[in-house]
Amino acid sequence: MNEMSVPPVPGIGLTAKYPEIGTGPCDTAIYHDPAVYEKEMEAIFKRSWYMIGRVEQIAKPGDFFTYEMPTFRHEVLVCRDRDGNVNAFHNVCTHRGNMVEHRPEGHSQGLFMCRFHGWAFDLKGNLARIRDEEGFFGVDKACNGLKRVPTGIWQGFIFVSPTDEPYQSLEDFLGDQGRDTAGYPWGSCTQSYQTSMEVGCNWKLVNDSPAEVYHIPVLHPVSAAPTMMASGNVMGRLLDTEIKGNHRTNSHYSVMGEPKPVQKLAYFHAAAAQNVAVEDKGYELPVGINPTRSPYWTVDLIMFFPTLAFTLSAGMYTAHQVWPLSANRSIYQQRVFVRPARTAAERFGQENTMVEFRDIVMEDFSTLERIQRALDTGQIKQFHYHDHELALRHQHKVVTDILAAYDTEMEAQS
Amino acid sequence: MHSQTSKSLPPGFESIEPFVATWVLPDAAARMAQRQASRIEELRAFYNAMLPMGEAALAWLRDYELGALPPEGERLLKLMLALAEVAPAVEWYDDPRVFDGFPVERITYLRQIHDTAAQGLESAQ
Repeated sequence: MNEMSVPPVPGIGLTAKYPEIGTGPCDTAIYHDPAVYEKEMEAIFKRSWYMIGRVEQIAKPGDFFTYEMPTFRHEVLVCRDRDGNVNAFHNVCTHRGNMVEHRPEGHSQGLFMCRFHGWAFDLKGNLARIRDEEGFFGVDKACNGLKRVPTGIWQGFIFVSPTDEPYQSLEDFLGDQGRDTAGYPWGSCTQSYQTSMEVGCNWKLVNDSPAEVYHIPVLHPVSAAPTMMASGNVMGRLLDTEIKGNHRTNSHYSVMGEPKPVQKLAYFHAAAAQNVAVEDKGYELPVGINPTRSPYWTVDLIMFFPTLAFTLSAGMYTAHQVWPLSANRSIYQQRVFVRPARTAAERFGQENTMVEFRDIVMEDFSTLERIQRALDTGQIKQFHYHDHELALRHQHKVVTDILAAYDTEMEAQS
Repeated sequence: MHSQTSKSLPPGFESIEPFVATWVLPDAAARMAQRQASRIEELRAFYNAMLPMGEAALAWLRDYELGALPPEGERLLKLMLALAEVAPAVEWYDDPRVFDGFPVERITYLRQIHDTAAQGLESAQ
């Protein structure tokens, strides 16, 4: 980028690209009504796929990790078998229902042994051994293996379905968004920090939080605003919002501002681990990332409806995941993925990235429980969305349309 | 104790020696907790001592691969990681906490990058 050139300030007109979405105020009932949440569980959550980890976590045969899916209270055991396959099972012993593997991650020699009575299952989930088997009354080992969880892999991410029969294939679920963002070097960011917190708000508010930048100059005046508002973009507008079915991408304008002193140390000594524009990436971005091919691009927010989004730049990305618990409670999990550091100096860059990102998200999240309180007490009945809050308006339409279609489906059945 | 403490960092970093006891911590979760438990004056004192040494520290650390640091180098790296944790408090908020933010003490770290161990460079994709 020529430092002397003045980048064009993004304009108004994103919403006009999608006339079917409308421009009016949006009813807030879907953000707090328990009956809506019950219906969302059937019509949306049970019909979606969920990312629960990456293949790097189980690089070798026998490697495993366990993961609880909060929305469904499913405890999942994921392992790699000796054929190299990634298998996921309900982590439930078929004898009496105890958890088979209690450790969060590790390596198995080939058997998972329940610590209750010692039933043992192999890496393919087969029931390999019943302790003191002669005391049972004809338990058929072939029928009592661990129950499989439908599993799919996209770009190294392990996805599972919460239902035994997935509503649609993982490929169809990811749709154009999955096709258009494949090819990004997802697997090169092998190092990750993962955090979790419970937030007293509806799951859609968590999605909304990073999905508009209308708030940037006001909510993030000293942290994110200096780069995203630089060179005249005083309203902090987006380059673009691109809608793809239920999914969407926000493409963020930003130019390098004057870094703070510690940022300057990190950028100079550990640029590879940083969330800054890189001139020579060494690869071509797929069409779905920086879709406008703007030279003033740094970050995209890539949303996979309903609960997974990536804040992604050329050299690193963060996965935001919300796990709905009720109409006004959610678990938010954040995974910051960075490239491996070789030297001790580069390790500093990773830490700078993680801490800054965490604190900026904490700035965002200051609003969530306050908004939910206003929703729960009936103090805000409508949301008025700005042109550059199109992503929120789109989410509102997607949810409303799915719930209406579900009603029609149920009526047709009865 | 004193003779041991005086050698706990590489030569040239004597000025930040007093911060070893407080800021050489096991991991990121402990650093976050230490920042939250400190007064802004304490964070500023640490930041002000560390910042002028930052270039020299990173130049020293650049010569070592992760996993191959001598103990004094591990302590120096951990002080720099603590500087990363403390920087937003001093540079952005003038407060240990995120200004008007969601309470960070409600965060649980589920997975952390090891402070000093070698990081696999291969991709499994």
